[in-house]
Amino acid sequence: MVVLDPAHGGTDLGARGTGGIQESEITMEFAAEVRRALEQQGFQVVLTRQGNDNPSFDDRSAIANAQRGAVFITLHIASTGLPGTVRVYVNSDLPPVTSPNGFIPWDRAQAPYLGLSRKLGDLVQGMLMQRFKGSPDTAQTGTIRQLRTTAAPAIAVEVSSVVVNDRSDLDHMAPGVADAIARGVVAFKPFYVIPGTGGASP
Amino acid sequence: MEPAKHPLNRPLRFWLITLLVFAVLGAAIFAPILGKRMKRAARLQQQSEEQARRELTQPIPVNPSDPRVKAKLFWLSDADNSVLAPVVVELPLSNDPVLRSKQVLNTLLAGPVDAELRTLPPDAVLLAFYLLPDGTGVADFSAALATSIPSGIASEQLAVDSMARTLEANVPQVKRLKILIHGQEVETLAGHVDLTGTFVVNADTGQTPANSAAAGAASKTSAFIAPPSPLTPDHRVVKLAQR
Repeated sequence: MVVLDPAHGGTDLGARGTGGIQESEITMEFAAEVRRALEQQGFQVVLTRQGNDNPSFDDRSAIANAQRGAVFITLHIASTGLPGTVRVYVNSDLPPVTSPNGFIPWDRAQAPYLGLSRKLGDLVQGMLMQRFKGSPDTAQTGTIRQLRTTAAPAIAVEVSSVVVNDRSDLDHMAPGVADAIARGVVAFKPFYVIPGTGGASP
Repeated sequence: MEPAKHPLNRPLRFWLITLLVFAVLGAAIFAPILGKRMKRAARLQQQSEEQARRELTQPIPVNPSDPRVKAKLFWLSDADNSVLAPVVVELPLSNDPVLRSKQVLNTLLAGPVDAELRTLPPDAVLLAFYLLPDGTGVADFSAALATSIPSGIASEQLAVDSMARTLEANVPQVKRLKILIHGQEVETLAGHVDLTGTFVVNADTGQTPANSAAAGAASKTSAFIAPPSPLTPDHRVVKLAQR
């Protein structure tokens, strides 16, 4: 299962750009496109929000954390960066901490999945670089709040940017972004072994 | 029938009229003076507010006896590239780590000559900087840091990294950086980058990540900045923008 997270929503509009462009609105449009591309590849897809609401970071993570073998992708539109490029982010090192009873603390749920997230991030970024020139060739690292509490391979995809001459410039990117993400997830599937299960695949 | 006249009516009327005349004359003379005084008081209050604001926003006073050193400030390499590049700036820097941290962070806030290369919003103010005995630097910024920064993963991460790496390059005593907004811990800078933890500044902390994590687990979590990405050569010496 792939959990798609159109970032922001409700009163949180996210980045705001030229001509009234709002990140929260564009991420929903991108999510619909990515969903279509993933479903065509045979994946089950769940969105963290259906409309213009704004679930908490924890509520969004919880959707992936409740599933065995999920992949989590949060979608963003940047305020900055070279228009027409796309960056994939994974969380930077979170040293794993397990409590005495073997559970992973919620606030660092991403820690055991960092290696897998990095692999997924690099694969998706590689696909995006082929389509969107000027994008990096490997995933970047960041201290992203949404990813920290997600117990699954988790990446953030950030499209540049809300500062475009015409909203259609962003709309035209959606199918390419969707296709690259879907191809990246397909390429990642053979590498996905759930940590701590002795090699079980989802 | 005509009402009876009170015997004191006539003198009373005279004194009342005299008093009224004096009151009008007094008002005519003192009203402009009072007006001037009120205006001056208002101006003084405005000046003191302006002074307070200026004191708050002014960079730490430079001590001329501080040695002038080549400080490394991290701003953007170019407006679109989203990569930090060190810029060498000659600054009088204190040997005291707290003052030195304030000086370099204020210089970072003041920004480079090319405003497009700044990483922090121009209206953000460093309100306070503390250095804890374990090497954690606590930087407390005005709300503008969070409200004026362009929202996004890239822009917020570059803002935090530019601070951590500027401190790393200039203040070896600061091992980690904790960012507060108006004295409060906030969940994210502007919706993306996690501010609940600390950011590694000088990796040679003598503390293993596991220890940091255990310390972080007790009070929320630690966040760790990415290893340094490739930088452009630091051969540029530039002038600073005036605040």
